[in-house]
Amino acid sequence: MNNKLLAISGIASIIILIYWGTFGLWFVTGNAPAFVGVIIVSSTIFYYIDAAKSGKEIYLRPISGLKAIEEAVGRATEMGKSVLFVPGISDMDQVDTVAGINILSHVAEITAKYETDLNVPTCRAIVMESAREACRESYLRAGRPDLYYDDMVHYISDDQFAYAAGVNGIMIREKPAACFYQGKFYAESLLLAETGNSIGAIQIAGTGSASQIPFFVTACDYTLIGEEFFAASAYLSNKPELIGSIKGQDIVKFMVMLLMTSVFVLDTVRQMGLFDFNILTFLGLS
Amino acid sequence: MFLKRQMPVIIAISVGLFILFGHFINIAPVQQFVNNDATQWFDIIASFAIFLGALNMLKLQVLKVVKKQRNWQYSILAIVGFAFAIFAGFFFRGANYITLSDIDPNNVNQLVEYISTVQEVKDTALMVKGIESSLASYEIPKIFISKSSAEDFAILVSGLAKNVTLGVKPWGAHVQIEGSLFSWMFFKIFTPLSSTMFALLAFFVASASYRAFRIRNFEATLLLVAGIILMIGRVPIGEFIPWWVVSTLIVFGIGALIAPMIPDKKILFGLIVTGIVLSSVLGIIFDWSLAINTPGILSIPNISEWIFDYPTAAGSRAIMIGIALGIIATSFRIILGIERPF
Repeated sequence: MNNKLLAISGIASIIILIYWGTFGLWFVTGNAPAFVGVIIVSSTIFYYIDAAKSGKEIYLRPISGLKAIEEAVGRATEMGKSVLFVPGISDMDQVDTVAGINILSHVAEITAKYETDLNVPTCRAIVMESAREACRESYLRAGRPDLYYDDMVHYISDDQFAYAAGVNGIMIREKPAACFYQGKFYAESLLLAETGNSIGAIQIAGTGSASQIPFFVTACDYTLIGEEFFAASAYLSNKPELIGSIKGQDIVKFMVMLLMTSVFVLDTVRQMGLFDFNILTFLGLS
Repeated sequence: MFLKRQMPVIIAISVGLFILFGHFINIAPVQQFVNNDATQWFDIIASFAIFLGALNMLKLQVLKVVKKQRNWQYSILAIVGFAFAIFAGFFFRGANYITLSDIDPNNVNQLVEYISTVQEVKDTALMVKGIESSLASYEIPKIFISKSSAEDFAILVSGLAKNVTLGVKPWGAHVQIEGSLFSWMFFKIFTPLSSTMFALLAFFVASASYRAFRIRNFEATLLLVAGIILMIGRVPIGEFIPWWVVSTLIVFGIGALIAPMIPDKKILFGLIVTGIVLSSVLGIIFDWSLAINTPGILSIPNISEWIFDYPTAAGSRAIMIGIALGIIATSFRIILGIERPF
């Protein structure tokens, strides 16, 4: 065990002990599992970010949807058509939207390099401002600030179906060669994806809305499912600190799997009468 | 430069950490900020930001018309719609109403008759009762968009009561009250258009399902079979499918699965026929025709419920856990300023 791991574990343990010692005084009661969870998850992710920064090799499995981003923009460039990026219908208070904007900055960098038109219709004014900022930075990073103009990111409507109608209209009229749907989606997901499919665009979707994933899988060429969507920007940036957080996230997932198996085994043993410790009560689940 | 670069990062990190740990800290003002103030701040900022969005939309549409860009005609509709909504919301209340005072009890039926000419009256007796109980002052349950139409109606009913007063609903209330210009726009234009978009989903679901259910590989076949079972299990006809049909289908399904392993088709055929005969004999012996004796696996609604409760729930929960961890990791990166989308 290395020193950094020891130090991080030590700090996490001290925080948890302080929490336990001042329970009800400094800290609200009833949130203990959540607090311990936050500390463990944060420490694990922090450790792997630090490890990646210090040069540790981290393997990320290839994600076909992310590899296809450049291919999609390239296709649009060859066809002389634009790229459409839809950042979902939620505001910036949703992590999905933030993740979508992160992916937008990578897409914008590629469109800047390839000198391809980018069209970003938004459903919220704050998202419009954030998306503009992300695109401006990307065009600057790509060395093509001259190609950037504010109106490539524009507002349509706050209403779900008015927005869907507006985006569908853009698709039908301009026939973009590549469509990206990255953000939080609801019922409009299939309206957008099917329209994109009907115009023959290459489509890459990603969302944290579990109920919309089947629709995207059906209608799009590539779909980033679940954590793939949130890992996308880290994966695309290739920055060690971001990739480290993905590794940390995977380790936490492994811990969750271990916890689920332990709870299952311990509860089964208890129900068989061989054991008198109720793990569900201990975790505050019953 | 500091204000543009470092300041947003400092604000994001400090507010992020404060809100995260605020959930656990037992100090009333902190709890108040986390649970109420922070979300209200966001709502206020978002409300102001709507002006930016509206102006941007208007600017683009106007430019399109002025420069006569491709499909500029549609932009005229967008501008007119925008202007009309602003007019109905901010400049024209269109919510006039009439109040009658000291109504003559003998004129109540006549009044109901007049009201029924401008407003659909579902229960006349109930309306008569309502008017009789408020003869001193009764507001006609009809909102008039224009003042002249309200005046016309006031003249019509003026003989039925001592006083007829015309009023206009207050600003703000006019956007919610049924019958005003704004509500007319909302219910007669906006709602049907939204419903039309929503209704398109039915056709898109059909075309998407067709593509998803096309048998290309093992997974697509599995999806097709599960989809059909779920659909049949959720409609009344599913309950009437007899056990022998289901058992025969199961035997065929098993036959399809083992077919690649048995090169001799005669043996395969023999096995399938034996399976069907065996399941039929078992069904007759154990009297599976009685619902109480039928094994759960031979009832389509039961299979459908099992698919929904176990494989589907397990798969969706696995995705949910992945999403939750992804959200935590992304939030952590943003709170620590490692990833900056702003």
